[in-house]
Amino acid sequence: MAASISGYTFSSVCYHSANSNSDHEGFLLGEVRQEETVSISDTQISSAELIQVVEIHNHDPCAQLFSFYDYAGKINEESLNSILKDRRKSVIGWYRFRRNTQQQMSFREQIIHKQLTELLGVPDLVFLLFSFISTANSSTHALEYVLFRPNRSRFNQRITLTIPNLGNTSQQEYKVSSVPNTSLSYTQVIKEHGAEFFDKDGVMKDIRTIFQVYSALQDKVQAVCGEVEQSERVKEKIQEDVNKLKQQIALRKRKTAEEEKRLRESQNADSHSTPEENTEPSLASPLSRITFHTPSAPERPSTSPNPPSYADLLSQDDSLLSSSSPPTSAALLPRPQAVGSPGHPTPGPLGMALGLGLGLGTSSNPVTTPSTPYLGNGDGSSSDSLDRQAAGQEDDEDDEDDDEEEEDEDSSEYENLVSEAAHLPVGSASILAQGRPAALSPDGDARGSQTT
Amino acid sequence: MNNMSPEVALHRISPELRPLLCSVVRNGRVGLDSTNCLRVTDLKTGCTSLTPGPCCDRFKLHIPYAGETLKWDIIFNARYPELPPDFIFGEDVEFLPEPSELPHLVQWDAGNPECLLQLVKELIQQYHHYQYQRLRESSRLLFEYDSLLEDPNYGRNMEIYAGRKNSWTGEFSARFLLKLPVDFSDIPVYLLKDTALDPGEDVALLSVSFEDAEATQVFPKLYLSPSIEHALGGSSALHIPAFPSGGCLIDYVPQVCQLLTNKVQYVIQGYHKRREYIAAFLSHFGTGMVEYDAEGFTKLTLLLMWKDFCFLVHVDLPLYFPRDQPTLTFQSVYHFTNSGQLYSQVQKSYPYSPRWDGNEMAKRAKAYFKSFIPQFQEGAFANGKL
Repeated sequence: MAASISGYTFSSVCYHSANSNSDHEGFLLGEVRQEETVSISDTQISSAELIQVVEIHNHDPCAQLFSFYDYAGKINEESLNSILKDRRKSVIGWYRFRRNTQQQMSFREQIIHKQLTELLGVPDLVFLLFSFISTANSSTHALEYVLFRPNRSRFNQRITLTIPNLGNTSQQEYKVSSVPNTSLSYTQVIKEHGAEFFDKDGVMKDIRTIFQVYSALQDKVQAVCGEVEQSERVKEKIQEDVNKLKQQIALRKRKTAEEEKRLRESQNADSHSTPEENTEPSLASPLSRITFHTPSAPERPSTSPNPPSYADLLSQDDSLLSSSSPPTSAALLPRPQAVGSPGHPTPGPLGMALGLGLGLGTSSNPVTTPSTPYLGNGDGSSSDSLDRQAAGQEDDEDDEDDDEEEEDEDSSEYENLVSEAAHLPVGSASILAQGRPAALSPDGDARGSQTT
Repeated sequence: MNNMSPEVALHRISPELRPLLCSVVRNGRVGLDSTNCLRVTDLKTGCTSLTPGPCCDRFKLHIPYAGETLKWDIIFNARYPELPPDFIFGEDVEFLPEPSELPHLVQWDAGNPECLLQLVKELIQQYHHYQYQRLRESSRLLFEYDSLLEDPNYGRNMEIYAGRKNSWTGEFSARFLLKLPVDFSDIPVYLLKDTALDPGEDVALLSVSFEDAEATQVFPKLYLSPSIEHALGGSSALHIPAFPSGGCLIDYVPQVCQLLTNKVQYVIQGYHKRREYIAAFLSHFGTGMVEYDAEGFTKLTLLLMWKDFCFLVHVDLPLYFPRDQPTLTFQSVYHFTNSGQLYSQVQKSYPYSPRWDGNEMAKRAKAYFKSFIPQFQEGAFANGKL
């Protein structure tokens, strides 16, 4: 059997008792519950333990001694009723306070207890005994309390009375008491003001709001996940393309190297008269290619439906975060169109640099011009020749690839590029941007630093 | 527990309760053992600690009972002195008397100073009844009790204490305290006067302890009130026969009683005999009597002359005279010993018979003096100096 009393009831009893200048007694109101604890342990599947829990909600002090019993200890039922009135049903025990006495039930208390048990019909009526002990010089006073259940056997009469939150609360948390507050005023106030905190289901409103915020955040996270997945896929695809192109570049290089070798050998075999011619055509071809590129560059914007797509691109750029937009457009723009570009500020100079060929030593904005391996460092230094060639070849390859890949589309590179750009989801711009800066290393290791 | 003199207790108790306590500590004798009066200790108060004193209203009362001391808490309320007290019966947690058997509780009258004492007496009666109920656990002891109860000599003056079972062996133990119906009234007053303690009532109590329910270990003990003990010759008077194994109290107690009675008779007789003896000497030696103990008749001094030789005879009569022979001490009036004392000779064995009456003893004594004196005289002259 366990018993608990709320802190305020306990202090109220103590207050009444300590302020009386004689012994004091009263009744305890509350309820008795049966609690069943089912515990599962390694040795048993389940063991149910049934304990009775006595909860003391309130107390009813008697105004004076002998108020409901006579000298012989016989209870007068009328007096008892007039004291208890309608609270009689919730009586679960009674208490007595006496100073400087032993913690033992006295003769009269035992007699009264027996009669109360019968009259009130509570088989396990409890008796709470308070004892107040003072030292001789009144320096220390101790309030001792013992809860008895005298109707049980002699050896098992004392029950521990727990008072929630009375103790060392630095180690434990403040517990919400299981003993309910039965005060009417309290319930009224809670009813009136409860609507501000609780919705109709009795759940606190704050909880709902927080939950809504949580759900919204979850949705966003889910959406972002989807985007991330898509951009990852595109990235994968592009990466594959890049790898393929690399392979082709390597292949072509080998081929051209072999061709030149053959040519040289054949030239050597024929005569030594026209050594320059060999180089020229070889030079011419890339140059021609390059020059082919450049005149066509200005043409593109005028003849092709690029402007609208470019405008689309621009509009896309506007919608994107500034850091990401330049890269995308920059990725695409370095294609010759940049010469006549309507003036997207950042890619402009870059495009100019490319379009005007390699002689220009434009400053490249390393930050915002991540995109192009084509740029190299844009210095036009001689070391770039191979790079330029490579760039040009890459252009060709890209063009070819694009042409090959997207035959159904317009032949214009830009369109392809733009359509590619259009295909690229918004979120991936940042990823491409991330990739490109690596290509701009001053060492000009454009190829090697291609993003993987 | 602090020993508190009754006066201190009365001083500290709340004034309204003082008369009640007064009758308890001053006149309170409950039970058989009235030599130990009721003691009050542990006076405490039930008022708030700032109440100015004296305001004590609760205390512990020590009550001797059947060889034990009961320590009962009595709880009043100083602010409501008209209300009857409450009791905590110490370790006797199962003792719960019926209030209807306590008339002084039901009709508690705080104005009657004797009320508390009467109530305590009624409680003791109920306690006795409670102990009797506990005694029923052992049929043997119950038999002892019942048999004694039937005897009017003992039945009314018996206290029993059916003690707790011995925790080691689980054995049941009990103690019987009986007041022996021995009449001490004829004991000469002189014997009873000389005690440092307040003599109180003269009583002889027999305490018989049964250490087990089958009465195989029985330890009897006799308690005499101090004056009786002194009158009967000290602690040697307390020797009583051992309890016969297999015997019953109903046989043993009368035996002890008889023994004690006999002793008392001896003492009484002795007194009378001594008186008679001295009276006889007085009549025989008349003017030779120097002095004699007129109260206890234990001593007698004669100054006699034989052939111009004067000598003193001191006669010391023992307690168990005439069984024991008086001691004669002859003393010369002339001669001194080396240590400055008068020369004397003690004679313990001389013709004597306890069956002689006083007169006869006086005559024979006279004859003996005559025969002995020459011897003494020579001795005195020889060993003493003038």
